[in-house]
Amino acid sequence: MKVPSSSWHPLRWVYDLSQVWRDTRQIVLVAQIAAIYAAILIPFKVGIPLIPGFAELRPANAIPIVASLLFGPAAAWGAGIGNMIADCFGTLGPASLFGFFGNFLLGYVPYLLWGNMGPLSSGEEPIVKSWRQGLEFVVVCLVASCICAATIGWGVELLGLLPFVLLAPLIFFNNVIMGLLLGPPLLLFLYPRVKRWGLRYVDLRSSGKFPGLRSDTQILADPSDQQTFGQEAIRDEPFISVRDLTFRYKDAERPVLSQLSLEINQGESVVLMGRSGSGKSTLCYAMNGLIPQFVAGQFSGSVKVDGKDSTRRHVWEQAGTVGMVFQDFETQLISTNVERELRYPLENGDPSLRPQDPETMTRRIQGTLRLVGLTGLEQRDPLTLSGGQRQRLVVGSVLVQEPAVVVMDQPMTDLDPAGRKRLIQLLHRLRREGMTLVLAEHDSEEALWADRICLLDQGKVAWAGPPRDLLGQPALATKYGIRPFPLAQCFSGLDLPTLPATVEEAWQLADEHGLRVDPPPELGPVQSHQKESKGSPLQGTSGFRLEQVSFVYEGGLQALKNFSVSVSEGEFVAVLGENGSGKSTFAKLLNGLLLPTEGRVLVEELDTKTASMSQLASLVGHVFQNPDHQIFAETVWNEVAFGPQNMGCPPEECQQRVAAALEAVGLCGAGEQDPFSLTKGERQRVAVASVLAARPRILIFDEPTTGLDAEESRRMMEMIKQFNRQGHTIIMITHTMWLAAEYATRCLLMKDGQLIGDGPTRGIFSDSALVESASLEVPALSRFTQRWGHTLLTVEEVRASLKRS
Amino acid sequence: MNLSLYLDSGTWVHLLDGRTKVVCLLMLFVLALIFSDPSYLLGLTVLVLFLIIRARALANLRKMWILLVLLFVYSTVLWPFFVQGQTTLAVLGNFVITMEGVAHGVGMGLRLDVFLMSGILLLSTTAIEDFAQALHQLGLPRSVGFALSLAFRWVPTLLGSVTTIVQAQRARGLDLASATILGKIRRYPPLVVPLIGHTLRQTNLLAMALESKGVGPGRGHRRAVGTKMHWRDYVTLMGMGVVLAFGIWLRMNGYGTLPSVG
Repeated sequence: MKVPSSSWHPLRWVYDLSQVWRDTRQIVLVAQIAAIYAAILIPFKVGIPLIPGFAELRPANAIPIVASLLFGPAAAWGAGIGNMIADCFGTLGPASLFGFFGNFLLGYVPYLLWGNMGPLSSGEEPIVKSWRQGLEFVVVCLVASCICAATIGWGVELLGLLPFVLLAPLIFFNNVIMGLLLGPPLLLFLYPRVKRWGLRYVDLRSSGKFPGLRSDTQILADPSDQQTFGQEAIRDEPFISVRDLTFRYKDAERPVLSQLSLEINQGESVVLMGRSGSGKSTLCYAMNGLIPQFVAGQFSGSVKVDGKDSTRRHVWEQAGTVGMVFQDFETQLISTNVERELRYPLENGDPSLRPQDPETMTRRIQGTLRLVGLTGLEQRDPLTLSGGQRQRLVVGSVLVQEPAVVVMDQPMTDLDPAGRKRLIQLLHRLRREGMTLVLAEHDSEEALWADRICLLDQGKVAWAGPPRDLLGQPALATKYGIRPFPLAQCFSGLDLPTLPATVEEAWQLADEHGLRVDPPPELGPVQSHQKESKGSPLQGTSGFRLEQVSFVYEGGLQALKNFSVSVSEGEFVAVLGENGSGKSTFAKLLNGLLLPTEGRVLVEELDTKTASMSQLASLVGHVFQNPDHQIFAETVWNEVAFGPQNMGCPPEECQQRVAAALEAVGLCGAGEQDPFSLTKGERQRVAVASVLAARPRILIFDEPTTGLDAEESRRMMEMIKQFNRQGHTIIMITHTMWLAAEYATRCLLMKDGQLIGDGPTRGIFSDSALVESASLEVPALSRFTQRWGHTLLTVEEVRASLKRS
Repeated sequence: MNLSLYLDSGTWVHLLDGRTKVVCLLMLFVLALIFSDPSYLLGLTVLVLFLIIRARALANLRKMWILLVLLFVYSTVLWPFFVQGQTTLAVLGNFVITMEGVAHGVGMGLRLDVFLMSGILLLSTTAIEDFAQALHQLGLPRSVGFALSLAFRWVPTLLGSVTTIVQAQRARGLDLASATILGKIRRYPPLVVPLIGHTLRQTNLLAMALESKGVGPGRGHRRAVGTKMHWRDYVTLMGMGVVLAFGIWLRMNGYGTLPSVG
């Protein structure tokens, strides 16, 4: 059927609206728009003030109009479904049908009108920067709101529920007012970002050359290769064969992968390492065709798995061959219980790989649950599992399809030490069972189990070999942005035939070569600092103080129990504990985001229960784990100025504060950049600057190095150390034990909402039993030196203390 | 954050197939629509209330009772201004309030409450996934049902993100207690932009994760093991069918409607 080109032809509307359901990205957009719309609508539908300050007005009605101008037909479906979902939280009825159509039209008409109104049209870009664009936006808003209000008003009167003249004007005025007030600023913020991420409707339409291929992706095919989509020749090749792979992201100056070639045999375990941006994730995504099918850019070369070209088959067709685990496991969980999560890929995946009878399916699910250690949790909601359990569930949902290869992109990043340990045990087991494994990873200590490490740099494999070969080359690791193996670093330069990878090997090596740890007196034995019931062992000038604090969340979860601690000004404190131990709750009590259920929190003698938020914001700065949860402004400068402006700083002082904060984080020249265009590490620094600009004396960092490579982590930690030297009190929540060992002067050890250890870092790490009771592990260096009765924390300390007997 | 109305229990309403519950819900809607006489609608209200009690869903009704009362009062008070009859009760300026108008208002208030109570009954006894599956089994296209389930799944996650965003901005001194309209409008971008931005940043990743699991548009999103109808489903459908048929018979013979309403 020939599709009419005119935007006003009904057949064109049907075509556009039906195409949404033929593209996974647009289906995801529909669900996202629906979820956002519903999340903002629900409080109004059911009258529950879910989030104070967020929903007194009804901003939701601007969402369909804004989404329509950004995403086209997907917004129409999203708005309709979103309204229906909000109804399902308490107001479901026949009127919901008219609500669906009304909101559907509110999300479709703006897309239809913008740029198609003859002389009224102001151009393609749906932003309001000129009076013509403003006029066009007003017309769009009025027409869309009118159609929406008429549809719902007519429907509700038809059902005999309310007269048209009462309801329709209310809906109309609410939509128009919210659309006009919130639409232009939201579009101004969102349009450039949506354009950059390639999510506009024009970007998402398939190119037509390749099913599923984006219109802005180009494949430079080998002229000799005459294969068509869906056909591939099987040749005698390694199991995974990557040849001359080059990929340049859209708008990037240089290719991220450049003529990269790599071969991986069946049953081999390979870890891809390198600094951020070295192409690890890109290479992972190319294994099952996600690149080039899902990511805009220029692609050349070939990637073959089991003799089949991954670029020539749909991604979903390859799920039975290549299983993919992404860094962010939250995004991969789609069901409401564990058993359904594993059942889902079996019921929806390739029919040829699917067990034909329910018994086989159930057996396979039970086997996978045993393999990933989740037996007994079948009916649990995945959102209630720990981070480690969730990650293993994601791995399970991949393994249940029995793929030949499992590719994991930085799976350890968000896990606590216990979660990492379990995942590594699982990887060991899969390796023993002969599965081909490919992992992208930052941390060298997590790569020891593999057969081969490949270091990526400048778009190529710069070095490849067994992990042990990398032990003796700390300079090589450093050169490619990887943290060298700490134990090997300690022993390098001692002219030994081998270098140790594990603590046990280090002890054996020390015995064989007559080495012992004999530190200078200032690093001598220390006492354990197990928490006693009475107060804190450290007393001094109080930066802040928690007195007998308990905190219970709504719903009854007790996050802190009878918690007392005192931290002096200028201390560098690491807060350690597994997920759910109460670390974040403790931090949020300090700046009044949470108020204690019992007891009191005093920050510089100011009670958080009586202090205002702006008072506390000027005393305590909190850098959240994910910078994207706070960044909103169109420039870095405005983002950093947000805090001082909220505190009522005069413009001149505000300028000074922003300049000083940007200088402190090394982003002096980035003031005019869009923060969303920066790398994760840079965005993290913008978040730090935006907190620093308020000039707080206490700085809280929640997992400051998550997702950063070794160089970025080091840069971030040196910056934090510098703040501490300048007199700031530092509170660092972390899972990374070596960071605490190297930088913190004091550690708080938490378990089940209670403080079980408090003292100098060396003292805490000297008590292995105490640390292990919090489901944590003493860093390898400290464990190694404890054999001689000492607890050393850094490579430099150990090197200075290693002596021949 | 659990906002869902679903209450896990083993009552016979819970045990019914999703399709049965959706069809019965539609029958209740039709019954409410064919009658306008308050006494008939009151009978229907009592029937739904009885079903809610049997389904142990009174807790949800208690949660929503203010809304139900408000809508009933709103309808009862407003309709008399728009519906005229013959028995004048009062004259308010240009408006004549009649007995028939008030009866119509009460009837429509009850109809609204029957709709909402029936919805609460369905949502209290049906998990979201089973609801989406029932819609799919009743003919809703797979992709639409899939998007519906995904969106349902993400609502609590999004509300969790909103909480974090609000905390992150409050930690930078954002005043959420500002009472002026301008203040309220100005504080939306710092809250809404990170929410939408953070969500959209994940669009491609989510789509990649779905296709990597073997879910492709136009071929996936199917359930190989569909639920089966049980004898209790057929009995319930027949029972409700008889009630509906009786209701239609009553209506066709002139019962259950208000005379002289214009």
